[in-house]
Amino acid sequence: MFVLSFLLRRLLQGSLIILLVTFIIFTLLRVVPGDPARLIVGGMAPDEVVAVKAKELGLDRPIPVQFVSYLGTLATGDLGTSFVRPKSGASLGGAAFDDQTREERAKVLDLILATLPMTLQLAMVALVIALLVAVPLGTAGGLYPGRWPDKLALALGSLCVSTPNFWLGIVLTLFLSVKLKFLPAIGYRGFSYTILPAIVLAVEIVPFILRTLTVSVAQVMREEFIQLAPIRGLSRSRTIFSHALGNSAIPLINLLGVQLGMLLGGVLVIEFIFDYPGLGLLTINAVLQRDFPLIQGIAIFISVMFVAINILVDLIAMTIDPRLEY
Amino acid sequence: MSGPILAVSNLGVELQRAGKTRRVVDDVGFALAPGEVLGLVGEAGSGKSVLARALVRAISSPLEIVSGKVVFEGKDILSADRRELMAIRGNRIGFIGANPMGSLDPRLSIGSQIVEKLRSVKPGIGRAEAREKVLELFGRVRIPSPDARFHEAPFQFSGGMMQRVMIVDALVSDPSLVIADNITQPLDVTVAAQIIRLIDDLRQSLGTAFLFISSSLPVVAQIAERTLVMQRGRIVEEGRTEDIAANPGQAYTRTLISRIPPIWNNVSAPVATEAEAVLKIDNVTRTYRVRRRNTFNGFNAVKAIRGVSFTVKARENFGIVGESGCGKSTLTRLLAWLEQPDSGCIAFLGKDLSQLSSRSLTEFRKSFQLLLQDPYGSLPANMPVQRMIEEPLLIHGVGKAEAARLAQEAMAEVGLSMEFAERLPVGLSAGQRQRINIARALVLKPQLLILDETLSALDQVEQAELLDLFTRLQATHGFSYVFISHDLALVRRMCHRIAVMYLGRIVELADNATLFEHPHHPYTRALLSAMPTLEDNRFPRSRYLLDGEPPSPIELPSGCSFRSRCPRAQGDCQRIDPPLLVIDGGNAAACLHMHEALTEKETADVE
Amino acid sequence: MTDIVRENAVPPAAVKRGATPTQRMLQIAFARSDFRIGLIGFGLLVGLAILLPLVSSIDPVKIAYSSKLLPPFPAEGWKWPYLLGTDQLGRDVLMRCLVGLRYSLLIGVTTVVLMFIVGCSLGLYAGFRGGWADAVIMRLTDAQLSIPMIILAITILGVSRPTVPAIILVLGLSGWPLYARVARSVALGERNRGYVLGERVLGASDLRIMLLFVAPVVLPPIAFVAVLDIARMMIFESILGFLGLGVQPPTPTFGNVIADARKYLLNAWWIATMPGLFMLVSLTCLNLMGSALERARNAVLRGEA
Repeated sequence: MFVLSFLLRRLLQGSLIILLVTFIIFTLLRVVPGDPARLIVGGMAPDEVVAVKAKELGLDRPIPVQFVSYLGTLATGDLGTSFVRPKSGASLGGAAFDDQTREERAKVLDLILATLPMTLQLAMVALVIALLVAVPLGTAGGLYPGRWPDKLALALGSLCVSTPNFWLGIVLTLFLSVKLKFLPAIGYRGFSYTILPAIVLAVEIVPFILRTLTVSVAQVMREEFIQLAPIRGLSRSRTIFSHALGNSAIPLINLLGVQLGMLLGGVLVIEFIFDYPGLGLLTINAVLQRDFPLIQGIAIFISVMFVAINILVDLIAMTIDPRLEY
Repeated sequence: MSGPILAVSNLGVELQRAGKTRRVVDDVGFALAPGEVLGLVGEAGSGKSVLARALVRAISSPLEIVSGKVVFEGKDILSADRRELMAIRGNRIGFIGANPMGSLDPRLSIGSQIVEKLRSVKPGIGRAEAREKVLELFGRVRIPSPDARFHEAPFQFSGGMMQRVMIVDALVSDPSLVIADNITQPLDVTVAAQIIRLIDDLRQSLGTAFLFISSSLPVVAQIAERTLVMQRGRIVEEGRTEDIAANPGQAYTRTLISRIPPIWNNVSAPVATEAEAVLKIDNVTRTYRVRRRNTFNGFNAVKAIRGVSFTVKARENFGIVGESGCGKSTLTRLLAWLEQPDSGCIAFLGKDLSQLSSRSLTEFRKSFQLLLQDPYGSLPANMPVQRMIEEPLLIHGVGKAEAARLAQEAMAEVGLSMEFAERLPVGLSAGQRQRINIARALVLKPQLLILDETLSALDQVEQAELLDLFTRLQATHGFSYVFISHDLALVRRMCHRIAVMYLGRIVELADNATLFEHPHHPYTRALLSAMPTLEDNRFPRSRYLLDGEPPSPIELPSGCSFRSRCPRAQGDCQRIDPPLLVIDGGNAAACLHMHEALTEKETADVE
Repeated sequence: MTDIVRENAVPPAAVKRGATPTQRMLQIAFARSDFRIGLIGFGLLVGLAILLPLVSSIDPVKIAYSSKLLPPFPAEGWKWPYLLGTDQLGRDVLMRCLVGLRYSLLIGVTTVVLMFIVGCSLGLYAGFRGGWADAVIMRLTDAQLSIPMIILAITILGVSRPTVPAIILVLGLSGWPLYARVARSVALGERNRGYVLGERVLGASDLRIMLLFVAPVVLPPIAFVAVLDIARMMIFESILGFLGLGVQPPTPTFGNVIADARKYLLNAWWIATMPGLFMLVSLTCLNLMGSALERARNAVLRGEA
């Protein structure tokens, strides 16, 4: 019952956020230069054809009117149709405006759903790697502030956060994939193609976990109930495992929710470098091809995911800590 | 009788900071017999808490135990190995600290945590048996509905209830010694008195020895047979508590005792005089809407102030006392016009504040000033002292040069040396900071000063100095003061008339002598009975102290809001919510049965 | 026990001078070795980046086929003065890195200043005023946070023309929400602090309280952590460059240099690796400074020093 009322409140808030995102993205894409109608019919098309196409798409109407009608289609679950991508697969270049095959455009939602599992796989593998490295080290750093685990955590964190992901991707490809033939890197033909991109993504996530965890563990260790635990007769390991860690997990979980956007940013670049066929690559190509419905669709889709994951994160945090309010 | 269960000799603890060492505990030695309650008194910073932790070897850098022996049940704790130490700490020696709310993991239920503790110090005990034992003790410390509360987390408890939980936590392993470090310090007087009474009962039935540490000799005197007095890390006096209180041997003990303000003996209570009204509060209410937990859009109405009326006269000291949750701080905010009342009227010098334009309100603000409780948080950290005192003048458009002159005058008047003028507040004492606050108010030439627990962060010496300053300022400037405080002794010394608040309402309003000597409301009597004092309490606890805790301001009892705890409560109390009923001499109390009680009191004294 | 420790915690020197919390944070940070290492390293690199292109005769964009693909210093075949080698068009890698660092810093610092100013003013306002202003600003930050910054940036820059001001504006505007949130939560906490109530009672206006009292207390700690964000923004700038959405060639930036050099990775590894290492070193220095400042700040806010 409590959970229901919480969900209701958060979903209302969430839809407001999504509405705002839609509005921002929609307006942005309308006010920046670049004529979508011309893009669809191709650069070589005569102006009359462009004008006809614009009218057909409703692009000649005022922006608020366009927005409302866009919302109307959104409400039916339709994210629109890509400007340039055919249903079959790879995008078309600047083909002639009278090319018949151009009429078969892919649905934006289909494109997103087709690439999403790949990205989720990449993100999960990366998250697991990052947690495996950062949780033990971050915890140790927090338990021994000022000593070597703390210093190591700080150094590793500083190093990782200073590494440009695209550069690391290139260097790792060169050494691990091309020279040592350790792991495949470019494209996707099986799970092993996920590992190298995931490592690069993990390098990007690690410093955030390290930083949050060292700080929160160190802070919890200073709390009175931890200081009192040995006097109450609890052993150190018991204190740490059943009390300190649980309490320091909450900031970490919250961080994962808030930093999700950043994580997705990393995914985007990494997929581009490794030519990994996920949502990120789709986004970059959409931008480079000015495929406005696709860009819009992805942005909205991501903000929906963002809202959903944040609700999930809060639910998890609440089960860990009863003080947090439903 | 067997030997002592705890024998401490030559114990020394050092603090190392920035290359310097300081002895925090120095050559401490004492012994504690089985079942005895030993008091330990010392001011803040005297090293008593460090000593308490050194006894169980819970000392960490930058503190270090450098010498001595702590022999507990024949074994030296300081040289014991890890396993032996584990067998003693939390098992044979229980520990209760000053911060009950922070003493357990905030996420987990209190019951499971005490079971966890019991099972880790006594591995032989099964889960069900441990739970049984915890529940039984919950009952013994009088936690209502123990079965339900077993599963609640610390934040769902009040401070007093949580302290009971921590008492259970300490006693659950049947220890032979419990170290109670300042356990009543964060609690309200009546709750603290309940806790002390509870501990007294428990140790008589369980035969547990207690080391009872407090900064207040009167508190210790209520429970300890023998008392140690600690000063700067050393034990300066030791003896039977009564003897120490009656005939202190050491100069330090004598000063400690002389600083305890008298309540009944040799008091000249300030006498109220007639004068014109400065501040008039008429039937003021304030209700907060607080989001109800776990609901979609539910709100609770917290009735913080319910129909409060009183008048403060010129050159008068008006006291408002009550325990936490009684609405004091809301009333403060209303009086300082930081918030507006929902209904009712606050009139200052005959002008209703809600009718003033914002411009004239700003101008008017000069004449009533508020001094806050926390001397540390109330000053901006990065502003030099003199600039801070100029600030109010600059706000009201006084020229820079004139402001500087007035600020310097004010500094001199409140006794701040001019060498502080360009300093930042870092490192200034609480007393010095409050002087800055007083100077900031003073430069505006106010007529009324509202003191919200202004002195409660100060030690007795600083307090006495500032009280003298207040009296002096009143004589020269003709101020009126409103003292809002939980400290009855302070109010007894300073105030002409006093209002006692309970659950957002004034339950008794009387002149100083009447309130302290012939109070009419049972709550006032309970407050007085709970006061820790070395004098004979005119309102013995066995008779007047209340049980339980105030109900939530969200769900007030019908009729008289005090009836759920009132010893006099009768059928009509459920129906009638008594207003302040005038008695005589302008005094009033909100009780339907005070006349019957008056006669009853007479007999009580004879008993 | 904590009383005793705390009582002795304020360093005597600070008491004598009466240092503000901000000054104490700086003192502590300066006393840390990681901060000094970072400061020295970063100072050297910035000094080089500013001075060397001024005094050197080497032109980072001039093409010289005669000296193309020279390897860096210890490798066989390197030639003075091309310490880090040359690229496929014979341009000096070191000089191109230094110019790249200039742009990177320019964009990084300006962006952070921009988002700091925008985010903190909105956040302070929201936290201090509460009510509607607060609700509107916070929902805006929620919305903004739910669109990944990089997607927003590449969308805007991808469909318009990437110039330095455009890049700064886009990065700055997509980064402000975090600052707004932090500033708001701190302002919420300060709103009921004694010194704010004290000012209210004295009759000060909200604006006066915010600018004169709350901002000086609240902003420096946030600014300390902003140093870490400079590094982050420099990385974002290079990502944009890498995707071809940053400062356009021939102006060398870390991103476009590395993107260009990808093709030559196998036979001339240094062209892509050197700028990366250069970035890694300068960003590590910056991050060391940033995290030392952050730790010093935490220590002071916790009341340990």
